[in-house]
Amino acid sequence: MTVDPALQDMLTSVFSDHDPASPIGSLWKKLGSLGLARLTTPAGRGGSGAGWDEAAALLRTAASHGVPVPLPENDLLANWLLTEADLPSDESIRTACVLDETGTARSVPWAGDADRITLLWAAEDGWRTADVPASSLRIERAANLAGEPRDTVHAPLDATSGTRVGGHVAEEFMLRGALARALQMTGAMDGILRLSIDHATTRTQFGRPLAGFQAVQHLIADMAAEAALAKAATDAVLRDGLTPFNVAVARSCAGHATTTVVRNAHQVHGAIGTTAEHPLHRYTLPALAWRAEFGSLHHWDEHLSQAALSTDQDIWHLINDL
Amino acid sequence: MAHPVLMDDLRSSVRAFLRSYDFTPAVDAWHAGWDEDFTRALAARGWVGMTIPEEYGGAGRTFLERFAVTEELLAAGAPVSAHWIADRQTAPSLLAYGTEEQKREFLPAIARGECFFAIGMSEPDSGSDLASVRTAAERTDGGWLLTGTKVWTTGAHRAHAFLVLARTAPHDPSARHAGLSQFIVDLRAPGVTIRPIVTMGGEHHFNEVALTDVFVPDDRLLGRVGDGWRQVTSELGYERSGPERFLSTLPLLNEAAAATRRGELPKHPDLGRHIARVAGLRHMSQGVARSLQDGEPADVEAALVKVLGTTLEGDIVEFADQLGMAAPILTTAQLRRAGFTLRGGTNEILRGVIARGLGLR
Repeated sequence: MTVDPALQDMLTSVFSDHDPASPIGSLWKKLGSLGLARLTTPAGRGGSGAGWDEAAALLRTAASHGVPVPLPENDLLANWLLTEADLPSDESIRTACVLDETGTARSVPWAGDADRITLLWAAEDGWRTADVPASSLRIERAANLAGEPRDTVHAPLDATSGTRVGGHVAEEFMLRGALARALQMTGAMDGILRLSIDHATTRTQFGRPLAGFQAVQHLIADMAAEAALAKAATDAVLRDGLTPFNVAVARSCAGHATTTVVRNAHQVHGAIGTTAEHPLHRYTLPALAWRAEFGSLHHWDEHLSQAALSTDQDIWHLINDL
Repeated sequence: MAHPVLMDDLRSSVRAFLRSYDFTPAVDAWHAGWDEDFTRALAARGWVGMTIPEEYGGAGRTFLERFAVTEELLAAGAPVSAHWIADRQTAPSLLAYGTEEQKREFLPAIARGECFFAIGMSEPDSGSDLASVRTAAERTDGGWLLTGTKVWTTGAHRAHAFLVLARTAPHDPSARHAGLSQFIVDLRAPGVTIRPIVTMGGEHHFNEVALTDVFVPDDRLLGRVGDGWRQVTSELGYERSGPERFLSTLPLLNEAAAATRRGELPKHPDLGRHIARVAGLRHMSQGVARSLQDGEPADVEAALVKVLGTTLEGDIVEFADQLGMAAPILTTAQLRRAGFTLRGGTNEILRGVIARGLGLR
């Protein structure tokens, strides 16, 4: 998975320059002016018309710099739904959610901070979508483990007739969200690995850097191995397609990798890594929070177990379907 | 990169062949499944020595094509151990360092499935610390006299020859990797004594090979005198990253899934976790195969594959056992399990390789 080096340089520079503690307003403007806020939205709809490879680089770079920003929600979910429904797009910050039969959606990312919310729900005659101002909805603010907005949205469904969309949209919404979180997890793990290597090579105890201790080397080597597996499995989705099987493999590998990477990183950092002052939590907490979104780790492991149990094919043919 | 459709055709052909050939899927069959008829049947289809150029009797295929074929064979638990070492690492070494005469002598026979090799690296006092080998090669008229002992030599009692890493200059503590050379040694030569090392499962795959003044002619030196360390470490990329480092127990995972379908074992989400890791590892391993094909260094990437993959192979054994499986394939796997994370460089040595790659040492 490679992108234009000039794009990667630009992404790195945008997120390195941003102070993660400052509000995202000015960053969002910059992302918009660079064509990154709607990176994969078709050019005819005001986007940049890029693909998943570029989106992956964008999400990973933001996460590897510890910058929380609603890029997947705005571009990969809300604007994708608008394209599917052929509804107009603009520069508003958007998020998207799937409403239940009462018109409620829980843990909606960034709902309280968005200008508009793109809604998706099952009507009697199939799936419908509508793009409404956030101010028209009742929103209760809440947050995930990492402090990112995850709000409850109540929508008056009877007041909105919505636009019909294809039956594939609901499943693809879930897969797109799940892949986006896997990509963000791999970005966060890159950041965690970098911080851990920095710490181990600069912090001195017993007269030598922590990296001089084999026990510490092995903690970090295991982090690198798990992070590499997670990256390979998410890259494979970009290359081989957004299928439930491929996404489940990526989410399973990335989810289990997060366990090792987060635990070992905190172990390597010692007590300082547990403080508000130290940046480590800006990577470890989002990685854990993202793992729990768009399907738990158990959900994806179970999906693969069921895939193996509901076919007579052997496992190899399931993995490598010709 | 080979065309994906072509690879699918190739994979389909291998699957069709495997359906037509009568064998029992086994765990660890690349290490223990010695079947010369099977090897020759594969060779007749051009699937042994695939990457050997046609001028040396091979199929002139790419590493990625070999990768596709070996993956299919390993996933099926097919008995490939007779040609495994020759195909995986001896042929690439001969191509990289061999003389024209050596290539013409050995490569066509390897590709026909008629010449089998073993590895002569480890010694009784040199396990993980390979540079400390003591087998000595002394100059003599027209060649070398080799004396020393090699261990863990898989298949030496059946193979024709092995590549021996030996000291051609005295050990120098300030240049540990200097003074080593590689030799092609006939396992039936006078002075070669092969003794079985029987495993705790009662199986004989490993051997101790004692060399006592074994004459090796000049034309069986591989590569250059003193270049042995560089040559063997370049073999390790092939040895450490391939699909045999994560597929050794896939036939067991298949059996466990089938038993669960039949209601004989409880459902457990770890089945899905292991499937995901096999799928993820093949992407990583394929990445290393691509690097090797492009001539890029991949030591660290290969170490990552081997640490994760061999751990997974063992986890699959634990999984089947903990679910309560009772089957001969599980017993065999339990008796072999401890070796998975040792052979080809222990996982602790490999974590050191990874740590060096990360700049930690």
